[in-house]
Amino acid sequence: MLNTLLQLLGEDASKFRRYASMAIIYGLLNGLTIISLVPLLRYLLLSETINTVIWLVVLLMGALVCWRWRLRVEKAGIEVGIALLQGGRHRLGDHISRLPLGWFNSHNTARLSQVISQGIMEIAQLPAHVFTPVLSGAMTPLIIVLSLFSINWKMGIIALFSLPLLAIVFIITARLGQRIDQEFHHNTAEVSHRIIEFSQAQSVLRAFNGEGSSTDFLKKAFESQKKSSKKIIYLSVMSVILNAWVVQAILAVLMITALLSFNSSAVIGVTNTNEILISIITSLLLVNRFVEPLLDVTGYSEAIRGARNQLKDVQGILDIEPLPEPEKPQFSQDHTLTLNGVGFTYPENKQSAIHDINLSIKPGSMTALIGPSGSGKTTLLSLISRFFDVTEGSISIGGIDLRQMSNEQLSEKISQIFQTPYLFQSSIADNIRIGKPDASDAEIKEVAQLSGVTEIISRLPEGLNTLVGEGGARLSGGERQRISIARALLKDTPILLIDEATAALDTENKAIITQTFARLRGQKTLIIISHQLSTIEMADQIIFLENGHIQEQGSPDLLSDSNGLYSHFLKQQHKIKKWKVVK
Amino acid sequence: MTNKSPVDRLLLPIRGPLLFVMVLAGLGAMLTLVPLAGIAYIAKLLIGNPNTTTTLFQANIESEIWWVMGISLLSLVIGTLLIVTSELLAHLADHKITHSLRRSVLQRLTKVPLGWFTNQASGDVKQAMQDDISSLHELTAHFYSTRGRCYGVISLSVIYLFLMDWRMAIVSLIPFPCFYLIFGAAKKAISEERMKGFISGQALINNAITEFIGGISVIKSFAVSGQAHKGYHEAVDSFLQGFLNFTRPLVAPLANANAVIAPITVLGTVLTFGTLFVSFNWMDPIDLLPFILVAPGISSPLMLLSFSTHNLAHATAAADRLQALLETPVLTQPTVEKSNHMVNHQICINNLSYAYDDQNAVLKNINLTLTPNTVTAIVGASGSGKSTLARLILRFFDPSEGSITLGGVDLRDINTTELYRRIGFVLQEVRLIHASLHDNIALGRPSATRLDVEEAARAANIHQRIMDLPKGYDSIIGEDITLSGGEQQRVSIARAILLDPPILVLDEATASTDAENEVVIQESLSQFSQGRTVLVIAHKLDTIMTANQIVVLENGEIREQGTHESLLSIHGRYAQLWSLGNYQAPLEAL
Repeated sequence: MLNTLLQLLGEDASKFRRYASMAIIYGLLNGLTIISLVPLLRYLLLSETINTVIWLVVLLMGALVCWRWRLRVEKAGIEVGIALLQGGRHRLGDHISRLPLGWFNSHNTARLSQVISQGIMEIAQLPAHVFTPVLSGAMTPLIIVLSLFSINWKMGIIALFSLPLLAIVFIITARLGQRIDQEFHHNTAEVSHRIIEFSQAQSVLRAFNGEGSSTDFLKKAFESQKKSSKKIIYLSVMSVILNAWVVQAILAVLMITALLSFNSSAVIGVTNTNEILISIITSLLLVNRFVEPLLDVTGYSEAIRGARNQLKDVQGILDIEPLPEPEKPQFSQDHTLTLNGVGFTYPENKQSAIHDINLSIKPGSMTALIGPSGSGKTTLLSLISRFFDVTEGSISIGGIDLRQMSNEQLSEKISQIFQTPYLFQSSIADNIRIGKPDASDAEIKEVAQLSGVTEIISRLPEGLNTLVGEGGARLSGGERQRISIARALLKDTPILLIDEATAALDTENKAIITQTFARLRGQKTLIIISHQLSTIEMADQIIFLENGHIQEQGSPDLLSDSNGLYSHFLKQQHKIKKWKVVK
Repeated sequence: MTNKSPVDRLLLPIRGPLLFVMVLAGLGAMLTLVPLAGIAYIAKLLIGNPNTTTTLFQANIESEIWWVMGISLLSLVIGTLLIVTSELLAHLADHKITHSLRRSVLQRLTKVPLGWFTNQASGDVKQAMQDDISSLHELTAHFYSTRGRCYGVISLSVIYLFLMDWRMAIVSLIPFPCFYLIFGAAKKAISEERMKGFISGQALINNAITEFIGGISVIKSFAVSGQAHKGYHEAVDSFLQGFLNFTRPLVAPLANANAVIAPITVLGTVLTFGTLFVSFNWMDPIDLLPFILVAPGISSPLMLLSFSTHNLAHATAAADRLQALLETPVLTQPTVEKSNHMVNHQICINNLSYAYDDQNAVLKNINLTLTPNTVTAIVGASGSGKSTLARLILRFFDPSEGSITLGGVDLRDINTTELYRRIGFVLQEVRLIHASLHDNIALGRPSATRLDVEEAARAANIHQRIMDLPKGYDSIIGEDITLSGGEQQRVSIARAILLDPPILVLDEATASTDAENEVVIQESLSQFSQGRTVLVIAHKLDTIMTANQIVVLENGEIREQGTHESLLSIHGRYAQLWSLGNYQAPLEAL
């Protein structure tokens, strides 16, 4: 638990250490001040005025010191909170962006948003609201035990031994809830995920609601969250009772011991009974001061348990290995792309997606990837982008393995146009500018023209400043596609990877974009997954993939005459042309 | 009812239990004070008895001492039990209300116009349904029991101390009003504005996270080395700023306020005045004991009380937002259900106009009839309003002007369940649910048997692909299997086929699929379209050239309307689009 916290804090870990030791010192100071009550009360009961006043001054000074110190503890605690909310979130974000893309399945992403939003918030509040009272509350009784020893050794021993006993009980009750806590936690993440899905897939859920059951998924998630939260309630009530009663039993034993030892010392017939009476009374008082912070600590067990779960989730994310970065990145001016015996197996289902791919792609050439769905075309582009690392063979640019290049270098070489482009909830201009944050307006205009975005913005009253909505929801698929092309063009890299970029476009824009690709041909290395004959026929070479393997390779002219898979593909295209909605 | 605060309205169903919780907790807390009074009593008994010095533990005192002791410990145990019971009841009440609120929000949101979801980030919806409802927890599960406990402890302590010695009681309690003065001043420092800044920061970061994760592939390929997306980083920083603006002015005053009533300060006050009173001979030293024991105990409930009010601010803000959400305007449901008045499955669009806001009309004055057993195709540039028209027919929104009727009945007079039993659609945007393939296909008809589902999948040409998976129809999408765009499309077609609606809306259903897929999808679609009222939106004009009527939309208006041949012959917009598409070229290349 502590390790995760320190890892999350990174270089700010010293802030936490400083804060924690200050909180401990605060507890000790508090205890020391409280035990000055013992002589004070004694002199007061014995009516020794001067000594009473001296100890009263000591107590008041102690109270003053505690006050000033507490203020510093609070401030140090806030510093830790800030470090978590800012540095911790930044660190997590950077870590996440280094993880292989394959990790981001729906389960993991749900967990992720939960951790970064609520999880860190809860963790950040720990110092101020939980650690300070718990750390100091655990220290104060230690000092009081020492003082008890000086008054009545039996009570001292009982109090001393009760501390580890309490610790054990606390730990047991905390353990008790762990499993069910995890279940609740898991269910909560599931609910969050279902709500997001509910909101994003609303159109489908609504229209396919014939039996009124399309909200069942979310309702079911609610149900299981409800069930586990109920279990948690009963369990935490049980552990609160258990903890409180153990503390109270200790209180009872200590009080009875105080009275009994009074009794026995009376029987023995110690002369100065007044002195004994006073020590009994002060010891009863100390017992109360001993128990009170402990009771406070038990009250925090729920908060600590919650925090530990959040921290465990954070740890789970931090434990995932990012794609390794080279220590000494290498760079090459040449842009020849070479795939050497490349194979890839998805870690989650152990299915080989691609195997034994050998390819050499010359700078400025155009390659079309074709093949049935599931043949590994998209996987191949992902590997060239290093969204994953190859599991066999190697991919290199200019003779340098991708794994030996830094992310920046790779990003300067390659840009992508995705099958399902994601736009950020911002303006069209901002979304294009992602490709090159310092681009001038003229550059933006130029790529907008090239990608057909100009047509979109001319229709919109706010033009380039139009907000696109979450994930680009206010725009049509074709419009999103064009914006994603614009941003890739703005990035202006020597290699451009395109995945079905023109599929969702209407006739006019398709024409514009096909022209763009034709213009880029010869200037950039283009690798395109395409189903448009007009595009495919432009290519210098065609790679026909099937079952993760290259089946045919060559120029369009060569392949169309070879009576192989590509010529079959051409016949399919022909069939589509004859398709009618109604036969 | 209307003048009640949102919190009161939300908590109405559990008002009774919460009041009971408060009383129970108060009683329990009072009982836990008994041992303190017990110790003071025993001390007084011992010291105050002139005989103790000579004959210790005379029978009468001894038995009295043990009695007091016994009663004290028993009160303690029972008191604790009462407090825990009250906590339990409060949590159960919270549990009940939380769940029913989630369900009512869900119920509400299924009825709001679909456009609401387009304008609302899903992060906000999550914030409302999950986080806001959870933050009510502070209010329902803790606030009332804490209140009860605090009131119990404070009132009994004060009464007890006044009974012991009123002069001493007054001076011992001095720190507590001081606390309220400082704390009150601190609370004023939290302006409404700062609170809002903090909450909007929270929403901002939720959205930034959704975006960050949703757009991770873009971030990875465009952002520089390991630096997460700028928007995310900015949201983190601005959230912190809001958080600090909110908390910073509170730190010092709160710490001071807490120091004023820290047990050690209270003890200092009691003992300072106590020494003074004793030296004036106003009271015996032993009579100070009740004050030393009980007065410091007021601190922690008071602190708790102030904190619970502080936390309450979050809960009230959450309650406000929830109440607003529960009052979101919904699509009007028919007052009189007229779906049985439908005479056929003909759709008539009459003088329809639609505008997202007051200025920008997306569709203007559309008149169109979709006849059963015919195919109507809508073509036009992106942004011409094609998809909006399709969505109006699906009643994702209501038209701003004019009306759409189905079988002679206005869509607004048809219960949505009845409506979607008749209209099915396949949209360009495929949305699959994180569930098994079976459940995805059976989304509209959960009661469908595996055989029905398989038949639909076969018709959509996806059955074989599913059977090849190790888990077949039980494969969970996104976990066991990642489907390509074309395969997802076929699953969504199977979904529509299983629903078997008489009216079908196809919006660029084959746009994002590869050639092999396109052939099979188109085959299954044309099979499926037989004998229905079909509306097709298409980019590829050659796929709809045999449609019974083709409607060309431009800037939200119908520009041309007719069959392929008639439209080509007038050499208008359609003819222009047709020639741009260069449709014959690939055929000639063969």
